[in-house]
Amino acid sequence: MTGKENLRVKKTNLKAQKKGLDSHTGSHIKAGSGPFVTRGNIKTMSLALAVLVAFGLPLVITSPTYLHIIVLMFFYAYLTTSWNMVGGFAGVLPLGHSVFIGIGAYTSTILSLQYGVSPWIGMMIGGILSVFVGVLIGLPTFKMRGAYFALATIAFAEGFRVMVENIDFIGPLNVNGPRGLQIPPQNYGFANFMFAGKEPYYYIILIMLIGVLALTWFISRSKLGYYLNAGGEEPEAAMALGVNVAKTKLAAMAISSFFTALAGTFYAQFSLFIHPKSIISLDISFEIAFIALIGGRGSIAGPVLGALLLRPVSDFSRIYFGDILPGLHLVIYGVILILVMIFQPRGIQESLTRMYDSVVDRVVTWSQKDGEA
Amino acid sequence: MIYLLEDAINGILMGSIYGLTALGLTIVFGVLKVINFAHGSLLMVGMYLALWSVSLIGIHPYLALIIVVPVMYFFGYYLQDIVIKPIFKAEKDVREPITVIIVTTGVWYVLDNLTLLIFGPQYRSIQANPLKGKMIELGEIFISVPKLWGFCTAIITAFGVYYFFQYTRMGRAIRATSLDRDAASLAGINQYKIYNIAFGIGTAVAGIAAVTLVPFYNIFPTVGVLFDIKGFIIVVLGGLGSMGGAIIGGIIVGLIESIGPQFMTATWTEAIVYGLFLLVLFVKPSGLFGEKHDW
Repeated sequence: MTGKENLRVKKTNLKAQKKGLDSHTGSHIKAGSGPFVTRGNIKTMSLALAVLVAFGLPLVITSPTYLHIIVLMFFYAYLTTSWNMVGGFAGVLPLGHSVFIGIGAYTSTILSLQYGVSPWIGMMIGGILSVFVGVLIGLPTFKMRGAYFALATIAFAEGFRVMVENIDFIGPLNVNGPRGLQIPPQNYGFANFMFAGKEPYYYIILIMLIGVLALTWFISRSKLGYYLNAGGEEPEAAMALGVNVAKTKLAAMAISSFFTALAGTFYAQFSLFIHPKSIISLDISFEIAFIALIGGRGSIAGPVLGALLLRPVSDFSRIYFGDILPGLHLVIYGVILILVMIFQPRGIQESLTRMYDSVVDRVVTWSQKDGEA
Repeated sequence: MIYLLEDAINGILMGSIYGLTALGLTIVFGVLKVINFAHGSLLMVGMYLALWSVSLIGIHPYLALIIVVPVMYFFGYYLQDIVIKPIFKAEKDVREPITVIIVTTGVWYVLDNLTLLIFGPQYRSIQANPLKGKMIELGEIFISVPKLWGFCTAIITAFGVYYFFQYTRMGRAIRATSLDRDAASLAGINQYKIYNIAFGIGTAVAGIAAVTLVPFYNIFPTVGVLFDIKGFIIVVLGGLGSMGGAIIGGIIVGLIESIGPQFMTATWTEAIVYGLFLLVLFVKPSGLFGEKHDW
């Protein structure tokens, strides 16, 4: 919101209030309470409406195929939002986040298959393990810049994949090497994180997404968020002001790796099959970065908008053209990426928020004009 | 013991070819300060080009250089000019723009999958191949002829590129831009044109590597990915921006890959390579032969 717009709102508010005071005959605006249609109110209400629509969606969309696509869309929005804490706010380019997905998926799956531990508990254990690994990766790599950081994270992820592919057992734990792990579909129920239909998964990932978005919103307004931004944009200046850049980046990495690992458990329970090549793959790490950059790196709405745009494009082109034109969806992906980066280097989020703001503005001024008449 | 020697020789030969594939990557990084993730895909394009020029025109596999190198140069030149330059201009003040890295990844996806769409996923190789399976016998040691030629090509190309950068006017202009783009601009060098040329040279070198690979390697749409990741490791090992370093880094990786399986499962050698890569990153980020930089 720019200062000019602010001023305009204040002016119109004043006008409305004056009018309310002037007209002695039963004023329609109570003095002091202010008009109901304000920018803030509209934004809160439209957000609430969006959440309401999201919760009601499975009542309208009953096709399992479409629901599957939407679940994966939210899954990627969630992953990218988690990634955004490091890749967006801390101003580096991690390209190995599939490590954490892998840790989350393998931890909960091994624990539930071999020891009957509920995947929900395994999810938390995986998250904590992932924090340790994240800090371990972050300690040496955050000293590097740009390209080196990206390459180091790729090497960690690929090295981890090769290790998982080559290990059958860690002590008593059966990792099953390159064959992956299958979760037998039995004992459906909430405690086992296993459901026959897609709807429960939908609600779980939706709540997870809302949670991580709320956390990001909270962080971006906290001291940590400001430190991260400062350290990402001008590390030297931030350090000169007494910000411990390395420490804030590590904190971001810890949070990011924790939440990414939770998504790993979700994915394992959703697909009931994990395989090192598909889950610790470079493709997932890259796709997260793609979605973030197309949506808008370092913004809260960016990852969600990016996933909303990219995932359906890729899924539908895969469903309809996958057989005749293999690889078409990835060509479209690449072309969208290149075009967005050329014409909207800050992501689609920038122009979309501008459009949204102008619509909100119009509604506010329109309602006030209506009140004056 | 004799096997070990044979493996070592093969490792050095194959490693030098790895180094050649990574040479273009290090040239582009040295000037643009951007990791070109599309480099493997450019190599793949070069391999298809070499394959078609050999099988359609019927020339000797190595004569394909006459077609592949100029075509690849202009392909790289215009790819940088049309796709990557606008993003550089949008983020003028950033030293290593992240968006550019991601855009090169986009180029990778488009090139690989367009190839898949047009030519299909099948493996191809040269049909009437005069070099196929040719070996030199040295006592009990067998050396593959196309790999030996690849080794020679790698060494000659590395020296050629080095000479170009050190002793020609254009080479000096490119080095000036890589040292300080603003100062070079002040001296009348068109920074973006230099980027185009450097990218073109990097792509042309990928074309040379492609021609040396084609006589003994299968060609398929995702062949570049294999060389992509390996290329990143090699250039960091040797020092980003160092040309001799790229060849020597390649030889190190080649040696690990060929000798490693004598002592462990072949798939573990990959993990060793990643481990060595990370070790170099932590201990000496400028690589074995790179100059010290501020990143």
